[in-house]
Amino acid sequence: MAGDPPSHAADRPPEHPTPRVKTFSCPSCGASVSVQYPGASLSAVCDSCHSVIDVTNSNYAILSTYARATGTYQPVIPLGTRGKLAGRTWEVIGFMVRRDNDYFWEEYLLFNPYYGYRWLVRADNHWSFVQMIKKKPRQTKRTSAIASLDGKNFRLFNRGTGEVVYVIGEFYWKVIVASTVEMEDYINPPLMLSREKSDNDIVWSVGTYTEPKVIQEAFKLDKVAHPRGVAPNQPSKDTNSWNSIKKQWLAFVVFLTLAQMFFAVTASNSKAASGTFSYTPNTKVSDLSSGKFTLVKSLANAKIQITSPVDNSWLWVSGDLVNNADGTTFPFEQTAEYYHGSDSDGAWTEGDQSCEQTISAVPGGDYYLNFDIESGDYKDTTPRSFTVTVWRDVPNFGNYFLCLFFLFFSAMIAWMKMRQVEVARWSNSDYSPYVSPS
Amino acid sequence: MLALNCPSCGAIVNFQSKASVFAVCSFCKSTLIRQDINLRAIGKMAELQDDLTPFQVGTSGMYSNEKFELVGRLKVAYQDGFWSEWYALFGNGREAWLAEAQGFYGFCLPVPSWQPPELHSLGCGVELQIGNAGTFQVEDVHDVWCVYSEGELPLNAMEGRRSTSVDFSNAEGEMATIEYAGTQTRTFTGNYLDFDQFKFQNLRQIDGW
Repeated sequence: MAGDPPSHAADRPPEHPTPRVKTFSCPSCGASVSVQYPGASLSAVCDSCHSVIDVTNSNYAILSTYARATGTYQPVIPLGTRGKLAGRTWEVIGFMVRRDNDYFWEEYLLFNPYYGYRWLVRADNHWSFVQMIKKKPRQTKRTSAIASLDGKNFRLFNRGTGEVVYVIGEFYWKVIVASTVEMEDYINPPLMLSREKSDNDIVWSVGTYTEPKVIQEAFKLDKVAHPRGVAPNQPSKDTNSWNSIKKQWLAFVVFLTLAQMFFAVTASNSKAASGTFSYTPNTKVSDLSSGKFTLVKSLANAKIQITSPVDNSWLWVSGDLVNNADGTTFPFEQTAEYYHGSDSDGAWTEGDQSCEQTISAVPGGDYYLNFDIESGDYKDTTPRSFTVTVWRDVPNFGNYFLCLFFLFFSAMIAWMKMRQVEVARWSNSDYSPYVSPS
Repeated sequence: MLALNCPSCGAIVNFQSKASVFAVCSFCKSTLIRQDINLRAIGKMAELQDDLTPFQVGTSGMYSNEKFELVGRLKVAYQDGFWSEWYALFGNGREAWLAEAQGFYGFCLPVPSWQPPELHSLGCGVELQIGNAGTFQVEDVHDVWCVYSEGELPLNAMEGRRSTSVDFSNAEGEMATIEYAGTQTRTFTGNYLDFDQFKFQNLRQIDGW
């Protein structure tokens, strides 16, 4: 759709006289003052002496005289310039400089007779496209640092005052230079919600962060200055990716955990075989073999568990799980070792009399075990026995924790990048969530 | 539609609404009071020099998927500016108002058979239950006077007519307004919409735009 209402009056004369630029003599200095949009603009500033003049009637009363010796300011976008923003054409008709103590910023008043007024706010060379709103955001408490609008929460960024220090052009209200309003800014980048409270009213507006190059292209400016720092409502790639990763991350962790729980609960965890073998401690025995046993299910893991009465000694078992039909082998190797004693720190233990190893993706079928053993450190070499148990389809948490680790790691990196930007953003605020009150 | 002749110049003055009791002759600018099928000229409306409204009598638009047409306007001034109230009619003759101020467009419908409280009880911030439209908060109170009218209107909109207008808002973004004019009150509720949402047609052409 075109930016402006279609023109259709070519074949029909307008019913009202065409609005014309209105020109009169400044009641203060006598210079000629023009009003581009009489009827819409209520006050205009004399270019020559900077008096603000009431243009609602032909009395041209002076609303305020320019008394402050702050020098002049040059608007980056000259008055009268037209540009297209958000799909509509706007003309810059007014310019003001405001300040909060020693912090100064610029406001450009934009006008389109069909769509009304907007503002461009320039602060530290960052730009926001601002629209006044009639809807009142909710502030849950008087002291609340949160304001919400249309289901979006905005966090308090700044509380201060705004004083008009310089104006040129024309305005839709009666501008009073040196008038001060109380201001509150709430942010949810790229949006900023601002509240301005004067003696008469409370006005809310929504500003959208706009890239300097968008402003440059819209108003065909030769150049725009490079922004300083991070603007309160400047969107950040790192913050956005953290915010989206955060949700995906949580969703994925929940999914993984549910899947893991499902597999753990549904795992049959059945005993496929168990055999006891005797051995003489501190010797090496080769080519032991278990009897044939069946692993059910078409594909599942198999756990080989060795239990032996090692006591300040070790038993090493190494071999293969062998498919009886096709000879496929699945190697395994484990050591059961258990040591204990006491030293100056007291009693200690290390290792376990039982050890186990899980082999993934073992097809169903008949199998047997082939293995060698070796043991050592026994003081008493009386023959003894150990047990080998084969479990089928056991719950496995290894892959789950590995996944969690990598997920956590990538989220951590995204979080740190986000934090760096946000700390910079909030460094200009008295309400930073990144600083603990001291 | 009722077509009467201007008693001053003889031009045809159309009344689309049975509720219209006032009109400004588009030809000679006589201000006319209608009683039944009789028109009485009571004065002349001065030309409006400075006006940038995008609307004119005959502009149509959509509200809640229903087409309306603007048939008259009342422009008022208050201490800090102006606004226009356009009298709108739906196809079935139902009345509505389109308020136009500083590029904001509020569309509101009359609240029938509801008696507003005394004006002096309504200060800024006061909460009020309006009919069954919900609870609203007083936004501001303005003393206004009519500076211009055109087309047909359901009230006597002579230049200089004085009234007090109380504007309300609520957290849902809805608005309400009560007008106190002498012993008469008029109450409306509605909401602000974006210009494009109305899908206006037959807008006034503004030079250079």
